[in-house]
Amino acid sequence: MNWGLLQEGNNSSNASAGAANGSANASAAGGGEVQTLPDTLGSLLGLGQMGPLETFAMAVIASGAVATFLLTLVAVSGIWGKRKITAAFTDRIAVNRIGPFGLLIIVADAVRLLSKELVIPDGVDRPAFDIAPVIMVSSALLGFAVIPMGNGIQIADPETGLAYVFAVSSIASLGLVTAGYASNNKFSFLGGLRAVAQNIAYEIPLVVTAASVVIFAGSLQMSTIVEQQAQTLVTLGGLDIPSWYAFVNPFAFVLFMAANLAEVGRNPFDVPEAPTEIVAGWQTEYSSVYFVLCYLSEFIHIFLGGAIIATIFLGGPAGPVLPGFLWFVIKILAVYLFTQWARSAVPRVRIDQLIEIGWKGMLVLSFANLLLTAIIVGVIA
Amino acid sequence: MSLERPEPSTHDQVGVTERGLDYEAIDDLLGDLVIGRESHLNAEGFVVRPERVAEALDRLKQQAGFDHLSCVTAQEYDDRFESIYHLKKYADPTQEVSVVVPTSHDDPHSQSGNAVFRTADWHEREAYDLMGITYDDHPDLRRILLPETWQGHPMRKDYDKEQPQVVTFREHANPLQEDHRAGGGEGDTMFVNIGPHHPATHGVLHLKTVLDGETVADVEPDIGYLHRCEEQMCQQGTYRHQIMPYPDRWDYISAGILNEWAYARTAEDLADIEVPEYAQIIRTMSAEMCRIASHMLAVGTFALDVYGDFTAIFMYSTRDREIVQNLLEDLTGQRLMFNYLRLGGVAWDLPEPREEYFEKVRDFLDDLPAKLEEYHDLITGNEIFQLRCVNTGVLDPEMAKSYGTTGPVARGSGIDYDLRRDDPYGYYPELDWDVITEDGCDNYSRVLVRMKEVEESAKIIEQCVDLLEDWPEEEREIQANVPRTLKPDNDTEVYRAVEGAKGELGIYIRADGTDKPARFKIRSPCYSNLQALPEMSNGEYIPDMIASLGSLDIVLGEVDR
Repeated sequence: MNWGLLQEGNNSSNASAGAANGSANASAAGGGEVQTLPDTLGSLLGLGQMGPLETFAMAVIASGAVATFLLTLVAVSGIWGKRKITAAFTDRIAVNRIGPFGLLIIVADAVRLLSKELVIPDGVDRPAFDIAPVIMVSSALLGFAVIPMGNGIQIADPETGLAYVFAVSSIASLGLVTAGYASNNKFSFLGGLRAVAQNIAYEIPLVVTAASVVIFAGSLQMSTIVEQQAQTLVTLGGLDIPSWYAFVNPFAFVLFMAANLAEVGRNPFDVPEAPTEIVAGWQTEYSSVYFVLCYLSEFIHIFLGGAIIATIFLGGPAGPVLPGFLWFVIKILAVYLFTQWARSAVPRVRIDQLIEIGWKGMLVLSFANLLLTAIIVGVIA
Repeated sequence: MSLERPEPSTHDQVGVTERGLDYEAIDDLLGDLVIGRESHLNAEGFVVRPERVAEALDRLKQQAGFDHLSCVTAQEYDDRFESIYHLKKYADPTQEVSVVVPTSHDDPHSQSGNAVFRTADWHEREAYDLMGITYDDHPDLRRILLPETWQGHPMRKDYDKEQPQVVTFREHANPLQEDHRAGGGEGDTMFVNIGPHHPATHGVLHLKTVLDGETVADVEPDIGYLHRCEEQMCQQGTYRHQIMPYPDRWDYISAGILNEWAYARTAEDLADIEVPEYAQIIRTMSAEMCRIASHMLAVGTFALDVYGDFTAIFMYSTRDREIVQNLLEDLTGQRLMFNYLRLGGVAWDLPEPREEYFEKVRDFLDDLPAKLEEYHDLITGNEIFQLRCVNTGVLDPEMAKSYGTTGPVARGSGIDYDLRRDDPYGYYPELDWDVITEDGCDNYSRVLVRMKEVEESAKIIEQCVDLLEDWPEEEREIQANVPRTLKPDNDTEVYRAVEGAKGELGIYIRADGTDKPARFKIRSPCYSNLQALPEMSNGEYIPDMIASLGSLDIVLGEVDR
C-alpha cells in the first residue's frame, strides 16, 4: 500500500504536522468531520459521493488493510520480536538460524503451529469451546476500528470512539470465561475465573482513568482527543513540548499503564495464565489453530492497549520528522516492549493481592485522579 | 573462629557428659523397654520392645534431647525383620543413638513412631512398602514409592522378581467428582491433580490437592514416579568402585560430589580408611562448587515459580551456574555425573596446568559478589517478591524438627544445624566460614539462606584454592592406600551423613562379610523436607503452595531414589 498517496489524499487529520498546524486542525475538526480511511479510498477511486453500499465496500477494504497490518505486526513482534526481546533481557541469542536475523522463523513457526493436531478434549462444551478464541481475537481487532493511526488511517471516527474501544475490548473477558468454562478442565476453569475477576477489577480503574482524559479533551471522539494533544504545553529552549496527556497528567498515565498491564494479563498481573500455578490457565486445553488464535488475541490486546495509550496519552500518531503512522507504530511497540520488560523482571502477584491492588488501590486512585482532574479543569477553564 | 558453635545446650539432658554420651544413663532411662544392646560404628543401638517404640522414642526425645529422627532403616535378617530409628540431636548431631526394633519374621509388626516424630510417617511407609513391616498405630500405612497395586515387598529376600506385576493405567482420581472435604458442607471444594506433569513440580511429583476456591484445603504429595531401586542397586555393587557412580544420580542437579561424599564418608568409616589431607581439600573444594551450582539452580527455579516463565533470573542463574559446571568439568571430566571421589581420596589430581585452573576458579570467585548483588536486586530486593514470599509457607522450628527437615529448609526456620560444622568431616573444620540461619521460617528466608550460602561456599573454595596452590608438589597424595577388595567384618553397621546440597544426606550400611553391602539405606534430605509441604501449605493460596514447593528445592531423583 502506498502510504504517501494516502497522505496526499488526506487533508485534515495529518497529525505529524507542527503544533500550529495541529491547532488549526483542531478548529477545522470542530464539527467532528474527519476524513476516514474508507472516505479516502472512495475519493481515490473517484467514487464521489458514496452511497451506503460503496461506504460498506470501502470500509471492508480499509478494515482488511488495517487487520492485515496488525496481524503482520503480531507475526513479527509476537513470534520473532518477543524471542529477541526476551533473549536480550536474559542474556541469550534466540532465533538466528532461519533467514536473516532468524526472521524466517515466523514462517516456520506459523506452519508448525497450524500443522499441529487440533486436540478437542473429551467433554468440552462445544460450540462454546470453538467460539471462545474467535471472540477474543475479534474483540481486540474491533477496537482498532476507531484508532487514528496517522496519515489518515482511521476506519471510523464516531463521537463515542473511546467508549466504543473500551466496550469492545472488554468483550474479551467473555471469551476468557467461555474458554475457561467450556474446556472441562479445572486449571482452565480456575484461569477463567481469575481472568474475569481480574478484568472486572482493572477495567473500572482503566475506564475511570481514561475518563480524566475525556474531561481534558472534552470529547470521546478519538480524533478530537488527538488534536487536543497537538497544542503546545510549554516551550523549552525553542522546543515545543506538545500537551500530550502523559505530560499534562503523568499520574493518570502511570495509573493507566499499570491497569493496562493487568488488562492484557502480563507480569506482574499474569495470574489468569500463571504457567507455574495453573498450567496455562484458561488456554490449557487449546491446541493448534485455536492456540494460535489465543496467542494472537493476547498480542493484539497488548497492541490495542498500546494503541489506546498512544492515542489518549501520547498524542496519537504525532511526532517530529517521521510520518505519523510510523510514530504510531513506534509508540505501540514501546508499550509492547514495556510489557515484555515487566514480564522478564517482575514477579507475579498472588490472586488475592491482585484483587486487593485493583479494588483497594487502583480504583481509589483513579477516582481521586478523576476528581482532581475535574476540579482543575473546572477552575482553569 | 567463626566456626565455633554456640555453646551446646545439651548439658541437662540425660546421658550427656563431658566426655561424650554416657550410654549407660540412656540405658537406665529406657529401663524396661530395652531387651538388648547393639554396637554400631556411629552409635550404640538399643534393642527395644516392638510394642513400645513410641514410648522409647518419646523418652529419648523428651528427656535425653534426641529431637532429630534422622532416618528409619528397615532390614531383613534370616530370622527377623528390624527397623532402626537413627536418632540425633539438632543441637549436636555427634550425639547419636539407634533404636533397634526387631520383629518376627512371620508376622512383622511393630509400633509406629509417628506420634513422637512426624517424619516417621513417611519413613515407615517406605519400610512397609519395600520391606513389608507393618507399623501399628500408623495413621496412614500405604505404599509410598511403588504403585498401590504392587504385589509383594521387593526388598525382601523371598521376593519373587519374576512375578508379573499389574500396574493399571488409570486416572488418579475422578477429577470431576464432587468434593466436600473442607468447610463442613458449606462451599464445595475441588480436587485437582497438580502433576505428575506440571510446570512447577520440578520433576515428576504428583500433588493431590483439594482446593477451596483459591485456597489449598489439603495437599498430599504422591511420590515414587522416579523410583529407580537405587538402594537395591547399591546392594549389588562392590564397595570399592561399583557403588560410587550411583550417588551422582540421586540428587542429579549438579550436587554429585556432595552425594558421593556421603557414600565415601560412610564406607571409609566402615572400612577404616584414612583420607589424605590433600585429597580432603580437593573434596571440600569440589563439593562446595557443587553446592554453588545446586543453590544457583534452586534460586533460579524458585524465581521461575514466583515470576513465571521467560524471566531473566532463571537464565542469569543458569548462566552463572555454567561457569561452575565448566570448573567441575575441568576437574572431573564430567558435568553432571562426576564419579570423581574414590574411597580414600579422589580420582585424580587437579587439571594441569594448575595455575590456569586456579586462575579460572579465582576469576569465578571474583565475579561472584557482583552477580549476587544483581540477584539480590532482582529477587530479594523486589517489593512484589517480598509481598509474595514473606510470611508464606511458614514452617515453625518445632514442626521443622518434627519433620526431620535439614539443610537450607531447617536453617531458614532458624535451626542452627549444619553437619559440615556440627559433625565435622573433610577439611571444613580448618577453614573459616559461617553457618547461615534465618529466623523468618518462610519462603523468603529459605531463598535468603541459599543465596548467602553461595557466598560462604565461595569463601571455602577461595581458602581451598590458596591451600592447594601452596601445597608442596611431593606431598600431593590424592588417594590413600586402599585394598583392592574391601570386606568389612560381618554385621558391622554404620550410619553416617554429610551436608548435601538439600540437607542431611545419610547412608546406612550393614556389612555381611562379603565385598557388597547387605543393606544399603539412603536417607534423602528431600524426602524428609517434602513431607513438610502440607504443613506449610494448608490454608494458603495455590501460588503460595507452589512457592513453598519451590523453596523446599526438592529433586525427585533423590526423593524417590
